[in-house]
Amino acid sequence: MEWTNLIKLLNLLCSGALTSIQLFCYTLLFSLPLGLAVALGRMSKRPYIRGPIKFYILIMRGTPLLLQIIFVYFAPSFMMPEGFRINLDRFVAAVIAFSLNYAAYFAEIYRGGIESIPQGQYEAAAVLGFTKSQTFFRIILPQVIKRILPPISNEVITLVKDTALIQVLGISELFRVAKNESSRLFSTLPLFVAGLFYLAMNWVVTRVFHLAEKKLSYYK
Amino acid sequence: MQILHVEYLRKSFDGQTILSNVSLEISKGEVIAVIGPSGSGKSTLLRCLTLLERIDQGKITVEGDVMVDSPNGHPRYAPEETLRKIRLKLGMVFQNFNLFPHFSVLQNITEAPVHVAGVPYEVAKANALELLEKIGLSDKADAYPYQLSGGQSQRVAIARALAMKPDVLFFDEPTSALDPELTGEVLKVIRALAAEHMTMMVVTHEMAFARDVADRVIFMDNGQIIETGTPDQIFLNPTNERTKTFLQRFSENG
Repeated sequence: MEWTNLIKLLNLLCSGALTSIQLFCYTLLFSLPLGLAVALGRMSKRPYIRGPIKFYILIMRGTPLLLQIIFVYFAPSFMMPEGFRINLDRFVAAVIAFSLNYAAYFAEIYRGGIESIPQGQYEAAAVLGFTKSQTFFRIILPQVIKRILPPISNEVITLVKDTALIQVLGISELFRVAKNESSRLFSTLPLFVAGLFYLAMNWVVTRVFHLAEKKLSYYK
Repeated sequence: MQILHVEYLRKSFDGQTILSNVSLEISKGEVIAVIGPSGSGKSTLLRCLTLLERIDQGKITVEGDVMVDSPNGHPRYAPEETLRKIRLKLGMVFQNFNLFPHFSVLQNITEAPVHVAGVPYEVAKANALELLEKIGLSDKADAYPYQLSGGQSQRVAIARALAMKPDVLFFDEPTSALDPELTGEVLKVIRALAAEHMTMMVVTHEMAFARDVADRVIFMDNGQIIETGTPDQIFLNPTNERTKTFLQRFSENG
């Protein structure tokens, strides 16, 4: 392959990767806080809150993300009665589906972390007069974050690779671009280079989590 | 002056009675030791008095403020704002310290004064450093709890409770989780507080300590207060058979 063609290919892949990275960032932005809310709902003492949340987590973790993407995109326009039909932007639909899906996984990680904090921490905070929200945000959550970093990093790495799924909506993300170029050029090289792109992105993710763990290693 | 007043307290877990008919009062400056066999309800009593457990019946008054009353057999707790006010008057030291692992020693002590009592940070810090000097841990201000021995952790936990300037300080078996050679340093701090007339209620298995430091000893068994008296009364002339048996077993083992 000539140099000019290679540079053209890299250019295309970069623009595809940009779309993937955008989806990645939006998903984290929405699913990390949403997951915390879902975790708190999942741990609620009230069955009418806990029940639906458990059902939500079951659906999100129990069906393919690919199916969820298709559902979120098509349901508002096909399943709604006449007059209520909405045409969602493809990318917006993808962000919604990803955020809902990842929030369910993050929620269970948060829950595991929160439930691993000894009861004594809550009691010490209570007798010192901390309110419930102060106790959660000042005492419990910082300790939870340290404990859940490894499982969260697993999910975030998976998310980088899952972004390839939105090609089902015809969005030109990294993998779809690579596949198209591959057929056009009769070469597997674009797919191979795309693989290197994913690897590079996950190398960055791994580094970030490594630094975060190091930063929180000042206590045990 | 009466700081705490308890009348006919009853507490049960899953239908099993843990405390029944417990009445007591604590006067200002008094040091009370609570002794008794394991499972006699000593810790549960402390947890009820510090609002960590809710009682099933009875009345608790803290410096004239009613924490809970049960006019028709059912407990009715004061509104949350009153409970908050009451909580600030009560301090608690746990068997397992329960220090906050992500905070330095200094921050463990300043966190509540700053964020609960609204004390300016500089004032809270100065007070914390003073407390650390008192418990002999000035050099540990920047250490983290995992770097402390059990005895040091418990002394920091005491300083943390004292930083809120409570009117009464409760100790739930403060030396039970410590190696024998470390209990001394913690008991020394409690002794020093007693000498300053800090009002305290200490659940303990350290009989010698109870005898030396307490103004009054409460013996509990089976969820009830069996006998109350001065250390001399309880340790030298116990009137109740159960107190006698308990103390005998202790002197045999110890």
